[in-house]
Amino acid sequence: MGSPVPDRKVTPYIVYDKVEVQFNQWVYGLRDINLTISRGDFVFFVGRTGAGKSTLLKLLSREVQETAGHVWFQGRELGTLRPRDIPFLRREMGIVPQDFALLPTKKVWENVAYAMRALGATRREVRRKVPEILERVNIGHRADSFPHQLSGGEQQRVAIGRALINNPSLLLADEPTGNLDAEQSWQIMELLQQLNLRGTTVLVASHDEAVIKRVNRRVVTLESGQIVSDRSCMDAQPA
Amino acid sequence: MLNRLEFLLSEAFASLRRNTWMTFAAVTTSAVALFLVGGLAYTYWRVDAYARSLPSKMEMRVFLKEGVDQAGIRETAQSLRKIDGVAVVVHIPRDRAWEQFQKDLGQDAPAAIGNPLPDAMKVTLSDLDKSKAVAEEASKLEHVEPGGVQYLSEEHEFISQTLRLLGWLGTGLFVTLVPTTGILIYIAIRHAVNARRREIRIMQLVGATNATIAVPFLIEGCVQGALGGLLATPALYAVYRLFSMTVQGLFATSEPAPFPALGVIAGLMLIGASYGLLCSFLAARRPLKLT
Repeated sequence: MGSPVPDRKVTPYIVYDKVEVQFNQWVYGLRDINLTISRGDFVFFVGRTGAGKSTLLKLLSREVQETAGHVWFQGRELGTLRPRDIPFLRREMGIVPQDFALLPTKKVWENVAYAMRALGATRREVRRKVPEILERVNIGHRADSFPHQLSGGEQQRVAIGRALINNPSLLLADEPTGNLDAEQSWQIMELLQQLNLRGTTVLVASHDEAVIKRVNRRVVTLESGQIVSDRSCMDAQPA
Repeated sequence: MLNRLEFLLSEAFASLRRNTWMTFAAVTTSAVALFLVGGLAYTYWRVDAYARSLPSKMEMRVFLKEGVDQAGIRETAQSLRKIDGVAVVVHIPRDRAWEQFQKDLGQDAPAAIGNPLPDAMKVTLSDLDKSKAVAEEASKLEHVEPGGVQYLSEEHEFISQTLRLLGWLGTGLFVTLVPTTGILIYIAIRHAVNARRREIRIMQLVGATNATIAVPFLIEGCVQGALGGLLATPALYAVYRLFSMTVQGLFATSEPAPFPALGVIAGLMLIGASYGLLCSFLAARRPLKLT
């Protein structure tokens, strides 16, 4: 028997209900995940490599599909989405991949513009919106630079900027500070917190203990695909 | 709409520019395949049309022995109709043949002599290839005059041999070149998909539809095929000129029908583009997870 359909108005923003992801007969990505996330939350998924942090994020963008249980997003069960609806789901969220995924031959503004053009934005819309987005992620001054001319932190800002082209209510960031030094990591976290303050729900997969402690938000810890703790920011140790 | 089209076209042409050598290989192979297969098909069609445009080339006359009665004529006609390769058999009575002969000669017609013509059969062939066999069978019939089968045997033989050769060549080239062209377009598109893996990933991350991601690759395949068609046209024109000169030299006929340049360009480009579209769809289907 399936779970009851959550009511869009009163139910939480994201629900993982007894979710299991099995990659093959012996390997599980996630096991018995029960998690509720409200609109406007800022949540860290932490754990070692292979713990299931990225898989939790990928379930929301339907890059991975659960093999058991249900994932709900804004009252919709994601497991039942048809493949042709997945692009439209992704337009409701911003995805920041671990490796930035920037186009090396395009300038900073062109990287953001390219993503907008792929979604059907006109040149006029691109001209209007790209500077706005770049300013929002504090990279406007490097608009004409190529990715290889930027620091890791600046590249990450561009990737975050690109994730904002659809004005998403949800931002998924997979190891956004993975390749950055402490200072740059903190700047990226400040940026994510600013977006969160403006109402964007932010989910971050990370194993950067120092940053997680300093940010002091809800932390969901995973081990071997299972949730072993779920601490709200009140419980967390401030930096 | 125009905005979307502009993006898709710019993506397709960016990819064509990026994979210059693969594109060059795919386009030239398409051109060679379309030229050879198209050229042979065109030549076959022209030779066949030439053969059909001259009814006498599809006909033979079978003259009967002197004094064959009506029963003998009927029997001969029936026997001729049973021969494989014969479409129509019409009896030409000796009186009517003589009448026609006199009419054709007009004032020069010999009035004083009697009718020297025998009864004859006009045999229309259904297959030019079988003219020799039909002639042999017909000459064996009881009421047929020895040596009484007349037809343009040399021309029949030449045309039928030419058609047979063209048919074999065309089939051989079709079987080898068309798949080769397809494989090259397939590889070029696969190469393009791999080269643009990062762009594809970005488009997937921001929510671009499968159509937006795939269409540039389909356009790329279409363009490769169409360019091949365009390049094949001048070569095909050269074949046309060669064919015209050969036919005129051999049969001293008038100039054949003019070269339908626009039709050939449109036809070859359309065939090339359709084939390119099919190959690029097959190439992009799996990596882009298209249904």
